[in-house]
Amino acid sequence: MNLWRLEWLRLLRTRSWIALAAVFLFFGLLGPISARYMEEILRRFAGDISIMLPPPTPATGLEQYLGNVMQIGLLVVLAVAAGALAFDQPSERAAFYRSRVRRVWTLLAPRYAVATLATVAAFVLGTLGAWYETIVLLGDLPVGGMLLGMLLTSLYLAFAVAVTAAASSFARAPLTIVPVAAGLLIVVPLLGLIGPLRDWLPSNLLGSLVGLVVGVPPVEYLRPALVTLVATAGLLWLATLRLQRREL
Amino acid sequence: MTPSAPIASDAPPLVTTKGLGKDYGSVIALADVDISVPRGSVYGVVGPNGAGKTTLLSILVGIKEATSGSVTLAVERERIALVPDTPSFEPWLTAREVVALARSLVGLAPSAEAVEHALRLTGLADAADRANGGFSRGMLQRLGLAAAMAGEPALLVLDEPAAALDPAGRRDVLDLVSDLSGATTVLFSSHILADVQQVCDTIGILRAGRLLFQGPTRDLLAGKAAPAFTVRLRPPVDGVVEALEAAPWVHLVERPGPDRLRVTVTSTDAAERELVRTLADAGASVVGIAPAEVDLEHVFLELTG
Repeated sequence: MNLWRLEWLRLLRTRSWIALAAVFLFFGLLGPISARYMEEILRRFAGDISIMLPPPTPATGLEQYLGNVMQIGLLVVLAVAAGALAFDQPSERAAFYRSRVRRVWTLLAPRYAVATLATVAAFVLGTLGAWYETIVLLGDLPVGGMLLGMLLTSLYLAFAVAVTAAASSFARAPLTIVPVAAGLLIVVPLLGLIGPLRDWLPSNLLGSLVGLVVGVPPVEYLRPALVTLVATAGLLWLATLRLQRREL
Repeated sequence: MTPSAPIASDAPPLVTTKGLGKDYGSVIALADVDISVPRGSVYGVVGPNGAGKTTLLSILVGIKEATSGSVTLAVERERIALVPDTPSFEPWLTAREVVALARSLVGLAPSAEAVEHALRLTGLADAADRANGGFSRGMLQRLGLAAAMAGEPALLVLDEPAAALDPAGRRDVLDLVSDLSGATTVLFSSHILADVQQVCDTIGILRAGRLLFQGPTRDLLAGKAAPAFTVRLRPPVDGVVEALEAAPWVHLVERPGPDRLRVTVTSTDAAERELVRTLADAGASVVGIAPAEVDLEHVFLELTG
């Protein structure tokens, strides 16, 4: 038994892997279906009003999937990550770890890494589901664009878990950590209102999967990817620094 | 777990603090505390609620920072094990997993024998493969002890270790602490003064964050307690109490039983000369007189009262 196995057991025994996999797979399978039949669905509820939508493309299926999963799915990710990263709550449990382990990073690293890997695995599962259904219902998707898009979106998800780690150094209980992290993730795209920052923000990676599929050059995502990498490392450094100094 | 050899009594202290202070804004939790924990001793930290006991222990194990002063540890932090008053672990871990994890956290090699030994020592062998989420508070306290013991600590810090245990469990914990005496240094905080008196060879008394006394328990009991006598009488005793209370050398008269008085005096000499005469003058039927056994509770109340 060690801290890495502890995190693996946390994932299994708290059933958080089921929550992650279920939400990503559900939206992965729902997205292309809703894109394919959106016009019929709307027409059914519209009565006499005539509704005309452009014919769905393979990218529309992915858009539907990502639109849902990056809201509800991301909230599940934050909740699961907060459950693992809130290690100063309750204080008696924190005393068990903190009085035995001198460096907070020793505690933080497996919690961050396992939560991130589980999130990425669930995202890949959901995306594979969406990819398959899109091919069946809407048409082919470029393999290179899909793989690079999955990689860049996974990078954003790793950033989101790092935001949760940083939030856990400002709040102690999971119920407080989740809104703090969600608030930070909402604020990041708003920085795009400042013109020069627009092309550098990690939130640009959320559109990378669809963008690469419709032919946006990969180089367009180089700057946000670099910023996301640096920001992730910076957030983990901030979390470690603050948690190391925090008293129980 | 490998038993260590007893430690020589002339070895330097394992823990020393100098001018230790801790405040939370305007609230002073500790002020100018100098403690010295001898190697191999069982050191009892006693004090009323809010005296600063848990804060002191938390600073020593490194989960709180002192505001002022210094702590000198003659042992690595990894070799200090803390058992809080209400231990808590991930509820989905079994007792065996918790103990194994505790060993791994302090860098010890995995050892099924050491884990089994710690579980057996604390009476948890039968519950080893049950998730601790279903444990009673007493069982969690035993699990906290097992986790601490499995780490083979040089300093075992126990914060109210017997508070939630039934009498048999309490007895087991006290026996365990007594067995460790000499081989492992134990820092023991408790509200149950009889426990402290029974297992601690050194004692520190805290009140309002200040250290009122520190030293061998026997010195405290011998030197700090006001002298007292136990007097057994045939009832009625009311007139006798009044007569004793009027005597200038009597400090306090208590009635621990219907036919028993505890007479605390200001001077042993005066009491030895005057006690019998005062009782005779009051018409008391005396069954017996003996020096009162000094216990920690009386000394504690005198020091902190």
